[in-house]
Amino acid sequence: MAERLANRIKEKRGELGLTQAELAERCGVTRKTVNTVENGVFTPSALLAIKLARALSVPVEELFWLED
Amino acid sequence: MVERSTAERADFLSRRRARMLPVLAILYFMQQTTYFRSTANPHPRPVDHVWISAWVVLSLIILAALVTKGFWLQPKEVRDLIDDESSRANRLEGLRVGFIFATLTAIALYFVDQFSPMTAREAIHIILSLGLGAALLRFGMLERRAHQDG
Repeated sequence: MAERLANRIKEKRGELGLTQAELAERCGVTRKTVNTVENGVFTPSALLAIKLARALSVPVEELFWLED
Repeated sequence: MVERSTAERADFLSRRRARMLPVLAILYFMQQTTYFRSTANPHPRPVDHVWISAWVVLSLIILAALVTKGFWLQPKEVRDLIDDESSRANRLEGLRVGFIFATLTAIALYFVDQFSPMTAREAIHIILSLGLGAALLRFGMLERRAHQDG
């Protein structure tokens, strides 16, 4: 069964009033990478997932979860 | 002149690369017709040698762009940012596809050679061009898709 890494980056980013570019700058990646992670096109490494969670001030398990 | 931050510059260059790569791949494939037209001629003209040299140079540039971060004239922090996690993943996927294409082409040429013999030079040219071209095209398409707003 194919599993997918779902996320609520867009929702959390919206709550903080951050653009993709601003979040990308906080994490040290390009806007493109944030865009692909947010849309589920790219599965981030554990390192980037933790950086995103830290930048959005949420625990990583609240930001990402597995979806069947 | 508008000063851009490192992030803005990296994003701008990354977008430009995403637009350029598929075009470069198509130009690279088109250039191969010149090569095969010149090798069909039993008496190659001096200009044919120029075309072949141009192919070798372009192949080396494409290979360097695929296996390094590219943008060699940009500051290190911009290059590092352009070569972030998703770019590295896309580049590796491009190289994977290029390797598969090159291997399958080599296998196909092995059988074709039994019916239509070719020189080692021609075989190398076809394998290299298809492998590099496929890698470039795949990398470019993935980068373009990554830049599309979701």
